[in-house]
Order: sequence, then structure tokens, then C-alpha cells
Amino acid sequence: MARTEIVALILAGGQGSRLGVLTKYLAKPAVPFGSRYRIVDFTLSNCSNSGIETVGVLTQYQPLALNTYIGNGHPWDLDRNKGGTYILPPYQKTGHSDWYKGTANAIYQNIEFIEDWDPRYVLILSGDHIYKMDYAKMLETHIRQKADATIAVLEVPWSETSRFGIMNTDKQGRITTFEEKPKQAKSNLASMGVYIFNWPVLRAELSCDEEDKDSDHDFGKDIIPKMLQVGMNLQAYRFSGYWKDVGTISSLWEANMDILDRPHDINLRDRDWRIYSRNPVKPSHFIADSAEVSNSAMTDGCNIFGTVDHSVLFNSVTIEKGAVVRDSVLMPGVTVASGAVLNKCIVSFATVIGQDVRAGADITGRCQYTNEHLLSGGITVFERGLKIRDKAVIPGNSMVTYNEPDEIIETRFRV
Amino acid sequence: MFINAMGLILADHKRIQLGELSRPRALAAIPFAGRYRIIDFMLSNMVNSGMTSVGVIALHKYKSLMDHLGTGSSWDLDRKNKGLSLLPPYINSVNINDGGEIDDLSGLLDFFRANRRRYVVIANSNVVFNATFNDFVARHEESGADISVLYNRDGMKYGSPGAILGVDRKGWVKDVLFNPPKPVSSRCSMGVIIIERERLLDLVNEDVARGEHDFSVENFLRRYVELKIFAMEYKEVLLRINSIQTYFSSTMDLLDERTRQDLFWSGLPVFTKVKDEAPTLYGSKNRAENSLISDGCLINGAVSNSMLFRGVTVSAHATIKNSIIMQDTYISEGVVLENVILDKNCVIRPGIKLVGQKEFPVVIGKGAIV
Repeated sequence: MARTEIVALILAGGQGSRLGVLTKYLAKPAVPFGSRYRIVDFTLSNCSNSGIETVGVLTQYQPLALNTYIGNGHPWDLDRNKGGTYILPPYQKTGHSDWYKGTANAIYQNIEFIEDWDPRYVLILSGDHIYKMDYAKMLETHIRQKADATIAVLEVPWSETSRFGIMNTDKQGRITTFEEKPKQAKSNLASMGVYIFNWPVLRAELSCDEEDKDSDHDFGKDIIPKMLQVGMNLQAYRFSGYWKDVGTISSLWEANMDILDRPHDINLRDRDWRIYSRNPVKPSHFIADSAEVSNSAMTDGCNIFGTVDHSVLFNSVTIEKGAVVRDSVLMPGVTVASGAVLNKCIVSFATVIGQDVRAGADITGRCQYTNEHLLSGGITVFERGLKIRDKAVIPGNSMVTYNEPDEIIETRFRV
Repeated sequence: MFINAMGLILADHKRIQLGELSRPRALAAIPFAGRYRIIDFMLSNMVNSGMTSVGVIALHKYKSLMDHLGTGSSWDLDRKNKGLSLLPPYINSVNINDGGEIDDLSGLLDFFRANRRRYVVIANSNVVFNATFNDFVARHEESGADISVLYNRDGMKYGSPGAILGVDRKGWVKDVLFNPPKPVSSRCSMGVIIIERERLLDLVNEDVARGEHDFSVENFLRRYVELKIFAMEYKEVLLRINSIQTYFSSTMDLLDERTRQDLFWSGLPVFTKVKDEAPTLYGSKNRAENSLISDGCLINGAVSNSMLFRGVTVSAHATIKNSIIMQDTYISEGVVLENVILDKNCVIRPGIKLVGQKEFPVVIGKGAIV
């Protein structure tokens, strides 16, 4: 087979436990985002738009939804004869079997896959960031700088540097030191988790790391520091533009609101850099006489009879007459019955909010679902496939999840 | 679902012209219902019936249709074994000498010979409904008819062209009247027939031998004396597109709850080419009501009783009433539109006012700048 210039590997195996019930049945990259996308659409579309044709997706946690969503990569134009999309789960080997133990170990376990393509470069990506980036430009820089590895970095506010892996660079952009979540940062260039490696270099590093019993087998913690230590040429590639890690409920909610409040920052209407997604095959959405829709995003199959303000609706959401939805994110197939009022709620697939339910940020107090560990600011989250009882009252910062029927949940059904 | 039948869609109809809308494209390729082309409904019906082989006869202006259909992948018709076949006319070394008469039929013969399904469902492109053909094919088989034809009780409600069927008590067609001024019956052919492939081959061969070049559903119905034609009623929602007026009224019918439910939410999906538009964004001062709106729109003005296709921009202080606005059209500030059909890629400059009548909507052709 002809040599492949670059192979992309998307790390999509993480649980995303900070997203609570939203990742109970599916991996974080498969979580719906922005009215008609899944989080992973951004990374896959970036690959496609950058001209990358060979993509491996490493899955581990709850892979079913992600596997079926990605399929053969057709919606992203990644169903190639030369190249294509490959789902790479951990697998049993002769004599032993291993889960992916860390980001580096996950790639290590797929050395065979990468070798088959015989690439010059390998692009390591994570499947849980919202951004638009041309990896081809990054590769150009990587080649020009004769780097062993190039790491995409983003300037973050100095007040937030302690949340990121920070790169200290010299004037030419060569990385001198790397600090994971430093208390006193010397730079505000944060790693975006986007790496290009020369494949022979990475292959050697991965094998070496695998032998190291003390290693966590993580790119940020182990591989990068080790390469710096031995004096390899690691370059920082500066990215400017919208980038968001949607690892928490509040960042997921904010990122959804960003498409309403900052539509030009992550311009979804850019025809030169489309974000592709798997299509739900539903008709145009219907806005009834009784509907009031403002500052909102919605897509095919919605039926709106009530009031929707500053909200993001996914396909096939029904808002009945007299219902009011504000500052909320309603995932595919959700129904909000008449008289219900939702404020700052995230409702997962197909959940039915009963008549006259009141839920969300404007309701104070606590209930059995209050979860201040994962929730703040009054955001209220509903698991998928629930029927919420008529007239139920659910205070903000609740994570409504099924254990047994109670005064809030009437029943649960299969989605 | 398995069905021993293949589909054949006639993309044009000699008696149906939709002015500006059909000027650049075949009837089947006319945009309809916000995110579809008319042909999507029939293609989806066939695919939802389990057909894996569908031919589309396109005689004129088929570029737009070809762009839309592509490999057929949107309908799962991109198959190694048959799938979608586009059947344009062809000029060969024989007919080029007959004064260049285009031969619709001999190309078809190959298609029918190569696709070894027992039955063929042949359909015109002016009807929109959502159903499968499995029961109809089974009933056709039981009836022992040469041809079965689907009809409903529209009469001449949608104007010409219409084929009114005289049917006896057992369901046999005894009379066929084309565009009668005083219809004797309300049974109006849907332009969908079922016929055994072998029988069809014989009939087409006869036609070729007679020098007949026209292949149409109506020509088959006309032979009701020599052929046994069985009539089957379709009772669900059906829209016909025979003219600009009925295109307009059929679109407006989609705003009706029952029509919409039957066409889109009966459980059978209507497939179309995917465009990957962004979600539609509503601004803070818009007023949208009783309208169907597709992906990728920006709504900042007032929209009522209208159908917006994908990627339409409605600027602030614009008012759109009872109108159909096709893909990627830009409506500037202060524009007033009432009873208007705007084709794709139009730009309406600030302050322009276009008002048509319900029976005579104003139609603006593709790419116009007003």
C-alpha cells in the first residue's frame, strides 16, 4: 500500500464522569451538542476538512452509541477506499487482555493499526473539545520546524492557568518546559490535547514508556516531559479561535449558550468549514401560531407550540402550548408538556416533562436529586427516557436520575 | 421487508409545467416541503417498501436531478446489486439517422431485462404521499390483472392533467377519461401503476415495433380495453402538483396538522440529500408563527403561514406571509412578501414589496436579484 502521510487517532474512550447522567449510557464524545451535533463531530469534521483521510477512533467506555454514531465515517466523508474510519476498542491478546490504561497506552495498544498505514506523522486528538482547526496548517509548521513533536497551544486567561497543562516556550516557539496544572504559571499557553508526532519517534517513546512501571502512560504526564528531558525538538503551535473543553456540566451548558450568544466565535454557518453530523431524517421544524421563539437554535423535526427563549433544541423536540423553556438545552426527542416551566435545564434524550412541572434555576431548595458536587449555578439535569410526573417541582442543581418511581419520576422507558 | 418488485419513476410529465420553477429543472427535482425535492417522497416510498432497484427516467433538464440523486446513497440505493439507475434518453447510431428522434424506450428495455424482479411499480412525479407498496403489490398479484392503478377521490380538484377512472363493482377499470369537463366519478388516477416485468417488456417491445417513443403511465391506462386494469383506492393524505397554483396550495396544506402527521410522522422516514447546514437561529425580535422552517436559517423578521427552505436569511423588519422561500435566499431589511414563491439563491433588496394573490402567487426564478 502507498505510504500514508498522516494518521489521526481520536481518544474517545474516557467516561466523562463529571457529566453525570449525561454520560451514563454513552461516552462523552457522543453527547449531543449545539442543536444538531455530537461533540465528536467537531474533531471528525476538522479531520475531514483538513484533508486527513485515515482516522482511528479509540473507544472504551460505553462504546455502543459512539460506534453506531460514527459507523463507517460516511457523514464526515471519511468512508474512503484509501484510508477511512476505524473504531479501535481494546481487545484480547494471546495470554492476556488489557483495557486502555492511559492515553499513551491506548495508542501503544494500537501500534499495529498505525504500522499498517506506515505513516510519517501521527496526529493525536481528543474527542471532547469544541473547536474548528486546520490540522494541515499545523502539520506544515511541524515539518518546517523539523520538530519531533508539535503541540497545539492556546492562550488562556492567566487566572485559569492552574487548570491546564502549560507550555513554556522560547522566542521561536520551541517548548522548553511543561508544567501540568501549575500553581504559579510562567506562561499562559495551554495544551489543547492536539499533538503531531513523527511516527518513528512516537513509536519508540511509547514502547519505552510501556516498560516503565512507574508511568501513568499519559501523554501530558509522561511522554511529553520525557521527550523534553532528552532534548527533543518540541514545538508549540499557537491556535487562536474558539476552543472549549466540555468536560463539566457547566462548561457544556455554556458552550451550548455560546452558539446563541457568540454565533460568530464558533461560526457553524461557515460553508468553507462545515461541521458534519449524522442526519436524523426528520422534516423541517414547525412553529405554531401559539409559539414564541426568541434567541434560540433548533433543527429538523421540532414542533413548537409554546414559548422558547434562549435555548438550544435538538431534533424532534416538542414544546406544547403554554410550556415555557428558558436558558435550556433539550436533547433529541424531548417533550415538554403544557404548563411546564423549565429554567436552565439540560434534558437528555426523549425524556417527557409532565404538565405544569416547574424545574430549574429559579426554584430554590433541595430535593433527593440535589447534586452540588457536579452542578452549580442552578443547572438542572434530567436523565434520558424519564417521564416526569405532572406538577412535579424540581429545584436547581438537581441531577434527576432513575432509581425507582417517586414523587418526581413517574416511570422510565427504553430510549 | 422483502418485496419482489422494482421501481421506475418518470421524472418529467409532458403536461405539467411549473413556469419559473420547472424552467431550470425536471418536475421531479423541484424543491418541495422545505428540505426535499418532489422525487424524495416516491423514492422513499419505494425504499421503505423494500425495493433495492429503482430507475429514474429523465428526459430533459436533468442536471439538477442528477446533482440531487448522486449515487443514491441518501436513499440507501448505492448498491453493488442494482440500486439507483438514472435513465436519460439516448441517441444511438440507429436513431440519430431518424432525424435525431430521441429514443426513450430502447434504453429502458435493457433496464427491465437486467433487473429480474417480478413486478414493476411505475410512478409519475407529481404526487406526494407517504406509504409502502407491499399491500398493493400483493393485491395486484391476487387480482390477476395485467395492470393495477392507484387512485384516490380527488376528482379534478387539482385541475389538469387528471385521469378519471370508471370502475365497476369488482374494481375493474371500464373507462378512462382525461381531463373531462364534467367528471362522472371522483376516482382520479394517482399516476402509479403496478405491472409484471415480463408483461411490461412485451408491451414496450410492441411499442418499439410500432415506432412509439412515448413511455407514460397514461399510455398504459389508455389501453383499458385490451388490458385488464384493476383499480385500488389510496385513502391517506395525497398532494398533487399539477401547476404553480397546486404547488402553492399543496405546500400550504403541509401547515395543516393532519397532513403533516400523515406525511412525516407515520413512522416511514422521508429521505433526502443531506446538506449539513447549521441549526436555525432565531433572533430576539423575530415573530414566527404557523410556519415550517428548515435548517440553516437566520430568522430576525416576521414569518407567518410560510415555508422556509434551508439556509434562508430573514433580516429584521422583514415580513413574510403565505410564502414559499427556497434555499439560500436572502431577504433584506424591511422587505414585505405576501403570496410569493422565491426560487433558490434569490436576493431581495431592502424595502422591496412583492404581493401576489392566493390563487396567483408571484413566482421569482432561481438566482434573481430583486
